[in-house]
Amino acid sequence: MLTVKNLNAGYGKLQVLYDVSIEVPGKGITVVVGPNGAGKTTLLCSIMGIANVFSGEVLFEGAPITGQLSYMLAKKGISYVPQMGNVFAELTVMDNLQMAGYLMARDEVKHKAEQMTEMFPVLKKFIDRKAVTLSGGERRMLAVAMGLMKNPKLMLLDELSTDLAPIIAERVMLEVARLRDELGITILFVEQMAKRALEIGDTAYLLVSGGLKFAGKACDLLHEPELAGLYLGIKQAPAGGPVQIIPSSEGSG
Amino acid sequence: MAPWLASGFIYASALALTAGGITLLYMSTRTFNFAHASMATCGFYVVYTGCALYGGAPYRYLPLAFLFGALLGVICYFGLNRHLLRRGAAEITLMMSTLGYDLILLSVIQMYCDYLTFGLRLYPRRVSMSVYDFELFGTKAASIILPLIAIVFITALHLFLVKTKFGVAMRATIENPVLAGASGINSDRVYMTSWIIGGGMASLGGAAMAMAMTGTPVMGMTTIPFMFAGAILGGLHSLYGGILGGFVVGMAEYAGVFALSKQFGPWVLGYRMGIPLLLMVFIMLVFPRGLAGIPWAALFGRLTGKKRGVSA
Repeated sequence: MLTVKNLNAGYGKLQVLYDVSIEVPGKGITVVVGPNGAGKTTLLCSIMGIANVFSGEVLFEGAPITGQLSYMLAKKGISYVPQMGNVFAELTVMDNLQMAGYLMARDEVKHKAEQMTEMFPVLKKFIDRKAVTLSGGERRMLAVAMGLMKNPKLMLLDELSTDLAPIIAERVMLEVARLRDELGITILFVEQMAKRALEIGDTAYLLVSGGLKFAGKACDLLHEPELAGLYLGIKQAPAGGPVQIIPSSEGSG
Repeated sequence: MAPWLASGFIYASALALTAGGITLLYMSTRTFNFAHASMATCGFYVVYTGCALYGGAPYRYLPLAFLFGALLGVICYFGLNRHLLRRGAAEITLMMSTLGYDLILLSVIQMYCDYLTFGLRLYPRRVSMSVYDFELFGTKAASIILPLIAIVFITALHLFLVKTKFGVAMRATIENPVLAGASGINSDRVYMTSWIIGGGMASLGGAAMAMAMTGTPVMGMTTIPFMFAGAILGGLHSLYGGILGGFVVGMAEYAGVFALSKQFGPWVLGYRMGIPLLLMVFIMLVFPRGLAGIPWAALFGRLTGKKRGVSA
């Protein structure tokens, strides 16, 4: 569904990503993991036209979308939930949902907002409250609900577990898996809770210092002792199965 | 109504509109718009031209003044601001670009005045617009009509921002442009609308201002410090704060000077322009976030003796 080819990207003159290529198959969860500063968020920002793409190509359903403005990508069915600033703090919960469904007809927005408040009952309770008054977990729920408002084909989720209590983070992870299983949404999931993300993911990429270190099945990375131990802090006995190790890139962003 | 109070209401309403426009543009596009000066002057000349050539009360030309200011705003956005915003220009660059635009507009105003002088035999360089005004309830009509127009305009703007889908989208974009874009909101349209409203408010304010002072080609240049003072006093991050700030600065200039001159003598009149700026400095020292940063609900609760759990 989404293909990133030989992407070199960053901010201004600062290059963060070096020759990154990933493939996001339809109706599955593709997980991008890696240590802090690896360029995971920059990868999503490059896809969404927020970061500067120096070279390379991004294709969505076979058509090039490199450098397109984010509102155009939203029209194509790509939904993005950023790590920070993922709700409009000064708007009410209802206004947030309505803004997330900005491209939809009024009746459709109302119907979808009702669906979202059923899926996340906590939002119904605070529907007329400003988002700034919600707790961290409630804001994440609202952010995911906003991402789902417009029936996306592809969701880009950035570090959903940040700032969340473990029990809430676990609930969010299950919710992500449910989006794939019940709604059939394709998800590109950037996450620091690497072990849990790899457990629910189908395909995985390990990003280190702006370059890819691994591409393959999520369960394979989970059981790859050297990479998982060195970069993700996952200590497990190695398991069999094919693992594709990508040679270290020259980048150091 | 005393003449100083009548003029105070007109001037304060005008400053409220102009300071509100400056604040809106700063909040949405990070641009401190120096061209507000000449946009205000253009508003005055639209109304003056209408009155001088076609007659009638100045108020009938105010919608035209608003539209002309909106057009100047759109030209500024598409000619300058949009390109600089897309290149991620710093605030200082955005601000200086509007200074250049202001100087171009000032030159055009001077040429237009020459045309009015030599082509149409008018006297546009020192104009007292009050000669076109009439009396209402024994006082200047402008002192009643212009504050009313300002109130109606601000109420309409508030309803637009709170009740309409595009108005809420404007607030959303102002707060978080990245998320707004990801939600499908075209920020280009939002910024253009900000320039339409901001430019329109500048010209409307300028046209109103000329009812309380002598209209000249540099009228905007001489009053721009007070427009900025109003916006800064309002805190720069609240449209309503900017409007209130403009009104306070405007009233301070007239009512403050009158009160002080009664107390200390007419020599105070010489410091007329310094008084509102001193007031701004004093308020900002006590409340660094400006009028919008004052916890009004908590203050009001304390004054009325009510206990409130949260501050505004």
